[in-house]
Amino acid sequence: MATPGRAAAPRWAVVGVAVAALAALPALVGALPVGDCPVPAAELRAEVLASDGVTYSGYAESAGGLALPVTDQLDSVADLFSDRTEMRVWWRSPDDHRVDVLSAAGETGVHRDARGTWTWEYERAAATRAATTPLALPAPPDLLPATLGRRLLSEATDAELTRIGPRRIAGHDALGLRVTPEEPASAVQHVDVWVDPGSGLPLQVVVLGRTSEVPALDTRFLDLELAVPDASTTSFAPPPGARVGTADQAEIVLEAGRRLAPVPLPGTLAGLPRRTLDGAPPGIGLYGRGITLLAVAPVPRRLADELRRTLAQSPDAVTDEAGTRIAAGPVGLMLLDPPHAGPYVLTGTVTLDALVEAAAQLPALGGVR
Amino acid sequence: MIAVELRKLFRRPRTWATIAVLNALPVLVAVLLVLTDLAPRPGEGPPFLSAVLTNGALYPLAALAIVLPLFLPIAVAVVAGDSVAGEAQAGTLRYLLARPAGRTRLLVAKLVAVLAFVLVTVVVVAAVGYLVGTTLFDAQPVAGTSVSGTSLTPEELAVRTVLAIGYVAVSMLGVAAFALFFSTLTDSPLGATMGALVVLVTSSLLFTLDAASPIAPYLPTRYWLAFVDFFRDPVLWRDITRGIALQGVYVGVLLAAAWANFTTKDITS
Repeated sequence: MATPGRAAAPRWAVVGVAVAALAALPALVGALPVGDCPVPAAELRAEVLASDGVTYSGYAESAGGLALPVTDQLDSVADLFSDRTEMRVWWRSPDDHRVDVLSAAGETGVHRDARGTWTWEYERAAATRAATTPLALPAPPDLLPATLGRRLLSEATDAELTRIGPRRIAGHDALGLRVTPEEPASAVQHVDVWVDPGSGLPLQVVVLGRTSEVPALDTRFLDLELAVPDASTTSFAPPPGARVGTADQAEIVLEAGRRLAPVPLPGTLAGLPRRTLDGAPPGIGLYGRGITLLAVAPVPRRLADELRRTLAQSPDAVTDEAGTRIAAGPVGLMLLDPPHAGPYVLTGTVTLDALVEAAAQLPALGGVR
Repeated sequence: MIAVELRKLFRRPRTWATIAVLNALPVLVAVLLVLTDLAPRPGEGPPFLSAVLTNGALYPLAALAIVLPLFLPIAVAVVAGDSVAGEAQAGTLRYLLARPAGRTRLLVAKLVAVLAFVLVTVVVVAAVGYLVGTTLFDAQPVAGTSVSGTSLTPEELAVRTVLAIGYVAVSMLGVAAFALFFSTLTDSPLGATMGALVVLVTSSLLFTLDAASPIAPYLPTRYWLAFVDFFRDPVLWRDITRGIALQGVYVGVLLAAAWANFTTKDITS
């Protein structure tokens, strides 16, 4: 008669083999070779820019590593860039799509149609209508890999582009493309975009700052289906009993519009040329190109005071005669408060040195050359 | 043997006492909500709890969400941890095994009894929740609003509620399998229960850490709250299917380990 120990060994061996096989399964799947294709970088970028008509539905996840020093009014924007955001998307066209931001207890859905957006917040049982504006604060749909990838590649020059290795993303073999900004003022080390070769759709975007090897932003599809979503899925009508309202423009944009006599802004700041943006109030100055951008904007006194308090609590903030400034990954922010012009904020994907240089080139805002 | 184990389990007063205690918390929460009219702020508290003040028919789901993180798994761990170790501690295990049925069949019978307990408990919590919700709150039985803001017919609402109840029951199988496995390792029911609860707490803690995100998809508690996904429109099957598959893997592996241990160990009590 076999002893219990001898009888147990083969049974435990079966269990051990089964556990080892299950544990190795993810690594084995991940080690499968990914198909690559020698498409030139410029051609791949062109395919990406032509992909805004591609219809799809899927599930995406964005992880931000930016602790933006903002006030309570901009909490939702800060959360977008510092938290993990789970999104479902149904994309029929740039004017007809739906993006749901999921939480454990509910969701917030943005339904876009030709005239604007409906935003449904389940927890508040509220539906909010907003007209489309050329200038708006960042929202979850802006973090979709497809949307963000197109935007970040839109102004890249051929000299800034290189090909990198492929990856398998959401079951698709995706080709890699890297943008390395040419501007010395840029705080972005590079942006990596992985593209579905058949559709040109960006499937993953990773933004890396100059000061950290941890991505400042990593957004990717986890599931993706390249098919036309049903129109009934993207359309929206407020349900019975919902609180229905209309969204106001962001206060910061309104304030910029109210200051109809803005300070004169130079044509170049920190080596970045000034650019125009449709719909931007004249009080806002926008400089740079591609992924290196700098904005100079007036802010309400109350917002500036809150921002100053927030910055004062941050050990990374620097305050001297040039102003108060801080870097959160590749995003820099500087608060100027000259006595006669009202408070201004300089912010963008530029280094702190570039912010100081830009402030010095703004004599009307108290800058000292 | 399965019928014997089921009769034994459901004839024990402590089984029904456990279920009754489990229902006490959702009932208390409902009473407090009615008295104070203070629902959790949007985005806070258990899923569906902020919605029950306007539709009490959703209270079964809120009740399940209230007991799901802690009370329900504790109850399951207590019953499953007691299944084999309790017999050993009472000195009845060797008499059970004296029957010609065999150890594997006894293990299967114990497992089926635990599964029955899980199912009955979840259904009772949902039923009591419905009774309390429709009694204390304004109910809208004709239709409901999905999490995505679309209208659901009564049939859709009923089907999705039944599916959610089934999913919560499936989510408890991993805890039951851990406790049953530990129950074959020790003669102490408390030790087996505590072992399962240590796994539960560890999993819940790791799930909140970004540093543990690479292993998060494999944590037994990772997909527990995916029952909410039945009420999105369209239904989000991604986490639901992953949750069912993950529980299946845990149940399969742990039962195999329980079988390997229990069928070859010396039974002395």
